[in-house]
Amino acid sequence: MKKLVALMLAATMTIATFVGCGASNKEEKHASTGSKVFVFGDTTFNAENEEATIDPHDTYCGWPAVRYGVGETLFKFNDSMELEPWLAESYENVDDLTWKVTLKDGVTFSNGNVVDAEAVKACIEDLVAVHERAAGDLAIDSIEADGLTLTIKTTTPKPTLINYLCDPYGAIIDVTAGNEGGIVVGTGPFVATDLVTGDHINLVKNDNYWDGDVKLDEVKVITISDGDTLAMALQNGDIDAAYGMAYASYPIFENDDYTFTSTSTSRVFYLQMNYNSDIIADDAVRAAIAMGIDKESFVDTLLNGYGYVGAGAYPDSFPFGKGVNVQTYDPEGAKKVLEDAGWKDSDGDGIREKDGKKLSINWVSYPSRQELPLLAESAQASLNDIGIDVQLNITPDHGTIVSEKDGWDVYGAAFVTCGIGDPMYFFSTHCLADSTKNRGSYSSTDLDALAAEMNETFDTDARSDIAIKMQQQILDDNAFVFCSFLKMSMISKANVTGLVAHPCDYYEITADLDIE
Amino acid sequence: MKYIITRIIQVIPILFAITFLSFAMMRLAGSDVVEQKMLNTGQVISENQLIAAKQELGLDRPFLVQYFSWLGKLLHGDMGTSYVSGMNVFDTFISKLPATILLTISSIVFTVIISIPLGISSAVYQNKFTDYVIRFFSFIGNSLPNFFVSLVLMYFLAIKLRWLPIICREVNLNNIIMPTITLGIAMSAKYIRQVRATVLDELSKDYVIGAKARGVKFSTILWNSVIRQSLVTIITLLALSIGSLLGGTAIVESIFMWDGVGKMAVDAISMRDYPIIQAYVMWMAIIYVMVNLVTDLSYRFLDPRIRLGDAQS
Repeated sequence: MKKLVALMLAATMTIATFVGCGASNKEEKHASTGSKVFVFGDTTFNAENEEATIDPHDTYCGWPAVRYGVGETLFKFNDSMELEPWLAESYENVDDLTWKVTLKDGVTFSNGNVVDAEAVKACIEDLVAVHERAAGDLAIDSIEADGLTLTIKTTTPKPTLINYLCDPYGAIIDVTAGNEGGIVVGTGPFVATDLVTGDHINLVKNDNYWDGDVKLDEVKVITISDGDTLAMALQNGDIDAAYGMAYASYPIFENDDYTFTSTSTSRVFYLQMNYNSDIIADDAVRAAIAMGIDKESFVDTLLNGYGYVGAGAYPDSFPFGKGVNVQTYDPEGAKKVLEDAGWKDSDGDGIREKDGKKLSINWVSYPSRQELPLLAESAQASLNDIGIDVQLNITPDHGTIVSEKDGWDVYGAAFVTCGIGDPMYFFSTHCLADSTKNRGSYSSTDLDALAAEMNETFDTDARSDIAIKMQQQILDDNAFVFCSFLKMSMISKANVTGLVAHPCDYYEITADLDIE
Repeated sequence: MKYIITRIIQVIPILFAITFLSFAMMRLAGSDVVEQKMLNTGQVISENQLIAAKQELGLDRPFLVQYFSWLGKLLHGDMGTSYVSGMNVFDTFISKLPATILLTISSIVFTVIISIPLGISSAVYQNKFTDYVIRFFSFIGNSLPNFFVSLVLMYFLAIKLRWLPIICREVNLNNIIMPTITLGIAMSAKYIRQVRATVLDELSKDYVIGAKARGVKFSTILWNSVIRQSLVTIITLLALSIGSLLGGTAIVESIFMWDGVGKMAVDAISMRDYPIIQAYVMWMAIIYVMVNLVTDLSYRFLDPRIRLGDAQS
């Protein structure tokens, strides 16, 4: 026994010694080398958000590539979501099917290779070969490279080709350098050195950066999925800034020690109906769901006002975000619609039935966007009041579930509807027969006709008018319900400068980011 | 020695059965490696490419052929690649093990240091003030869920006092303190009561009464007989805890971002990353089999009656 006691004492003393010797992470972070290290906590850099790596040619991995300053696109959006040159100098729309893009001179990849038309051609050709969404968006027929001039021919008229090239999948990477471990070589101010999916990515300054000085020496992006951990890590100083902070934690940081950068975005929290489900195929049920969602309460109470109530697919800051008629919260109206359609509560349990079938819907969503579970719970309560039972399935594996036709009724998700500054983006990804995200098999001949018209329309005002009609169509069909738009905020320590929230949510870590 | 060899031989069929069940469950899951990887990464491939990929991986062969092929690779440390990250499963798994093993050792040491002296004190001073105080705190410790203890520790030790970091990703002893205390509080609370009950049980036995009657010092009875007898029960409980700790503690690892196998398993389950899940199932099976083996062997060392019983039979 004495030996046991002695062993325990020895272990305790050993641990105490190590603890005493241990330096805090914060001290190590800045003091060890004198270099400037920025640590960023992010809730979304994971496979759940289709951001397993930073290879832009893989699903939505272009987002972290651009967000974390590794990749840059040919053109980018300014704060008003208007196009401006980035790696390209200019473009010319030669005819309906031909675009000429002139690249900037002197741009290099982080490995020193020159970014010329040949390199860009190789990159885009690789992209459309492996990325279904990009291939559909860009509809590229051929690319010719000549020095710094790139001539792109499309198979169909693509009025928004340049906008689509601003999507993060359009980040220009050196395809000859490979994508070992999901790490690619881009042109941005930072170079990825180490990546573990769902855990972290480490970046160092790009010494060959073509566009001026990079202020930070190192950036560490850490995936933090737990909201409390994220908040306390920022309070404690383990991280310098956070993306995806829970709204309930905002008051902790509303003081002089922290800085908020916020902007309204077109990231919408929406519902997508599954027309393959017998219950959802009933027009009355979809109408009742649209009328039974209390969007105002969701935004005011659950989001603490950090959002905007949704009507159509776009915020009203866009010209095509105005002028749609939408169902407002009307529980009594919803009850009447269901009664008229034969959905009645005959057994008195509060849930309606029709032909012996309960009005119960499977609601699928995912947790990494903190708003989505809140929306699901809010809808569960308000829909229950009108006699609809809502079974929630909030899971990171949502993609597998909604890739099947059966097993789900309503999908709650988040999407940047105007990510390319043009309204067609949402419809081409969600609402047409060949859309990659038309999970619920929605189909409308009227919408298809409008889409065809939009695809041949180059005039911006005319495109806006068509977009309003298209939104009205999907709203009249109750195929989608647009609940709210995100007011995106990043919170940083007061000594951080150059971290600015952008309406398209693409640009976060830039050469201007600094710690003072 | 013969007993040890016999026990190890007995373990082999158990492990084979587990590999078979694990492999069969993977196949029953519905989709195969090619389809799941395509779904997870969003890659676009044609039907012909799909068939070719399946042929290349041998997924068109009979189930048992696939199983033995997989087992052969497993025995050479080849567990395949993760559907999500594309990384080698064995390497990924091995990279997470040191963190989990270290956390297991530290929390067991912490628990033993706290629970054995307090449990014994509580038994020796039964129904006295010391006993009441210890039982009160063990009751509180038992009632607190791990996530709550984690948040309280984070608030006081990391935010208020700024002694420790919130993010404990890197495996070092500075980062291990809060996860250790979190796990240790819950386990200690449980063990204090177990140690107390076991010691009380021993104290009520005839040999203790007899020793007291013969004038043997109470401390001698306690240290030389009672505690030694109680160790069999305590070691059984500790072994079970070691087994579950080596399997990782998902909540604690997630909250503190401690990069161990528990967090890895939860992430893999949520993303249906079957190769990682399979590796985890194998690991858990090996742990429990090995821990049980070691525990059985330790009984023979601690309790001569077990040894003698075997010899007589």
